[in-house]
Amino acid sequence: MAGQYFEYQFFIEMLILTSSIFMHLVRKNSSIVVLYMVQSFLVVLLLVLSSIHRLSAALLAVIVLTFLVKVVIAPVFFFGLIKKNRLKFSVSTYLNVPVTLVVLTALVAVAHSHFFTSFTAIITRGPDTLFLCIASILISFFLIINRKGALSQMIGVLSLENSIVAFASMAGLEQTPGLQLGIVFDILVWTVIAVVFVSMIYRQYGSLDVTAMRHLKE
Amino acid sequence: MPALGTIDFWVFIIPAWFIAGAVVSLLLTRYDHAANLAGGLFAITGAAAGILFAVSILMSGTIASISMPTSFPWLSVSFRVDSLSAFFVLIISLLVLLCSVYALPYVKHYYGKYNIGLLGFMYNIFIAGMIMVVTADNGIFFLIVWEIMSLASYFLVIFERDNPEHIRAGSVYFIMTHTGTAFILLAFLLLYRTTGSFDFAVIKNSASAIPPLVKNTVFLLALVGFGTKAGIIPFHTWLPSAHPSAPSHVSALMSGVMIKTGVFMLMRLFLDIMAPSPGWWGLVIVALGAVSALLGVLYALSEHDIKKLLAYHSIENIGIIFLGLGSALFFLSIGDEAVAALCLVAALYHTFNHAVFKGLLFLGAGTVISETHTRSLEEYGGLIKYMPQTAFLFLTGSLAISAMPPLNGFISEWLTFQALFSGIQLRSAFVRGVFTLAAGSLALTGGLAAACFVKVFGTTFLARPRSHAVSHASEPKLSMRAAMAVLALLTVLLGLFAGPVVSILSKVAAELGGFAGRALAPPADVWSLGLRDGFANISMPVVFALLTGGTAVVFFAVRAVFQKGRTVTCRTWDCGADLSPRMEITATGFSRSIIMIFKGILKPTQQTDTEYNDASMRYFPKTSVVTLKNANIYETYFYRPLVNTITRISGYFKKIQSGSINAYVLYIFLTLIGLLVVYVMRGM
Repeated sequence: MAGQYFEYQFFIEMLILTSSIFMHLVRKNSSIVVLYMVQSFLVVLLLVLSSIHRLSAALLAVIVLTFLVKVVIAPVFFFGLIKKNRLKFSVSTYLNVPVTLVVLTALVAVAHSHFFTSFTAIITRGPDTLFLCIASILISFFLIINRKGALSQMIGVLSLENSIVAFASMAGLEQTPGLQLGIVFDILVWTVIAVVFVSMIYRQYGSLDVTAMRHLKE
Repeated sequence: MPALGTIDFWVFIIPAWFIAGAVVSLLLTRYDHAANLAGGLFAITGAAAGILFAVSILMSGTIASISMPTSFPWLSVSFRVDSLSAFFVLIISLLVLLCSVYALPYVKHYYGKYNIGLLGFMYNIFIAGMIMVVTADNGIFFLIVWEIMSLASYFLVIFERDNPEHIRAGSVYFIMTHTGTAFILLAFLLLYRTTGSFDFAVIKNSASAIPPLVKNTVFLLALVGFGTKAGIIPFHTWLPSAHPSAPSHVSALMSGVMIKTGVFMLMRLFLDIMAPSPGWWGLVIVALGAVSALLGVLYALSEHDIKKLLAYHSIENIGIIFLGLGSALFFLSIGDEAVAALCLVAALYHTFNHAVFKGLLFLGAGTVISETHTRSLEEYGGLIKYMPQTAFLFLTGSLAISAMPPLNGFISEWLTFQALFSGIQLRSAFVRGVFTLAAGSLALTGGLAAACFVKVFGTTFLARPRSHAVSHASEPKLSMRAAMAVLALLTVLLGLFAGPVVSILSKVAAELGGFAGRALAPPADVWSLGLRDGFANISMPVVFALLTGGTAVVFFAVRAVFQKGRTVTCRTWDCGADLSPRMEITATGFSRSIIMIFKGILKPTQQTDTEYNDASMRYFPKTSVVTLKNANIYETYFYRPLVNTITRISGYFKKIQSGSINAYVLYIFLTLIGLLVVYVMRGM
């Protein structure tokens, strides 16, 4: 039973990493939101697995709320923003796709290098899964760096948060249900404020490209 | 809290009294006269209490202390007043008392123009700051009160804020004083790292455990930090512009006592807390003192703004104090406590004397400025006719600063010479060279200072008025004259009673950690002062009697000879032209020949503007104006390149702050990776 549990975890984590990589490759704003939805759903699945493994009923309430915030409410807000401001094709990056892929490969290699071997002290079984989580964190970080659009950067931040949650779940660093509820509520508020703020910026400057905004300011 | 009436209680109550005066003055800000009166009276009563307190400590030899812990483990509100602190409290209080008496009528000309309540507030806070600086016993508390003193003095410098020149001077002062504070902070942090405490007593007890490298670094940091406040060259650039910008009674305090707080801390650190010290510390200070003394007087000689000129003389006199201090450090390092004590006594004596005569000169200059509404020496002349008492008092100050016997400036410079001569007798050729050059520098400084004050007194008070305002000048109010008269009397008394003063100062020196009670007081009584086992002896009362008697004999002899003949009064032959002030020698003309001798150092620039009767012909000049200025070599070769370098480096750092969120996240990312690398490397 325990062996199957770790295999499921590994499989889900691999899918989370894949979604992070695909976020770098897609060129449409709506696609990146869909990918975020998928990634969030995978995180929820990971939490469900954890709750089954730990037989914790309180965690189920957190899972339901996480599902509502990350898989339903946040994407609805983002789709509303895209539709309202016609942002379907406004993705632009600093690095082109081949170079981006090279950097992603390097980041996955770094995650599996001896830099992070000390983390194996945290988890004795399934260290490969832990490395996948770290790779996912680094790739999400890189998404924020490489994207010029404010919407993509917001998705990058949320993807980073998903990766951290997955890492915490894998490393057994989950917090009490009360604290997790607080974190999810925090994300909800952050998403609402960010979307409203981005909407106002777009209305003011007619662009969500951060480099263009800097020129407009000057 | 100590019991009411004990001496420890006064340590706390005196600064608190000044702070109360500041608050009351601020509350009365709507009423100019009441605010002036309140600020002045609190300062006068507080200063009187300060004098009594300091004298009682000096006479009894007791130590007053008080310590109040705070919620921060490294900070305690600690005061400790030993003889050295009491000596500085005495100087500060004495000058504050007389400057405050002077200020009561002087400040009236600001009524209706500036906020008098604010002036009273800053003035009292400034005094409280100075008193607390010389009595603080904890490094962090010291930095707090140091900052209070610096900020209050900054606001006093820019008090006449309508003048852009004052704002500029204030900005330079603000930057320089905070740069100095940064160095002091670094010095204290280094001491804390080694000793684990900011309390001066703890640092002193652990001083032997401080590694030499740390000690030397602290020396250099403290020298720059406190040297900036003291105004030594090349950290003096703020002083000639900041001191003249403040109201005259504040200028007197800044020049007379505030800069001495830097000297006080150097004495406290090097001769008490961190003693013993290596010999090169003393030699560095002697060299700095020699350079500051000589260049200070040269710059003063070429200056024609009376307050700036006096400010440059402060640099000169700080240089003389440094000669004594540096010599004391050196002789202490070679174990000659008796000569070291003599050197320190010379430094302390000159500290006191400079406060007195510089206070007198600044107050005299303030009186002249308030009557003529200008600071330019070129626009004075003939003021002795309209302000004879002020002229006499200013002359006394001029003679004292020029080290003329029997006044106080003479005896402290004589003691400094004895200190330097002791260095010349040593075996090491290098040390002998340093002391010989320092003695030469001091001799030259004395001569140039006398020349400078011949210029100042001559162009200000003698000959005929050079401007219309002079002919309307009159003597100031009685309290202003009284304050100056007391200072003038002190210049005489401090010169006349050198023996008792030296005895008291020897006791001050003996209490410092470096001497550990071993200081040998030179044989001195009211009549004579003997130094270095009879090598040098002087009797100031005899000098006074000889000079007075000699002057009287000459006076009566001349009178007897010339009264026999008929005195004929007739007009001076003037080549057929009308006698006018333009025929008098100007301050520029007087100093030109000396400036040209030192042109290699001063780098003078001369500009001649000539107006012709016929501009097309240009044969017959109507008027010709010569403007002589000195190039600011410190700005050109030190501060400007420094500022340019800092600006260039700042430009690189500014590029990092691009405003792009991507860039900021990239920095976080790279830092994360960097930390991981460091972590792994350390693990390996």
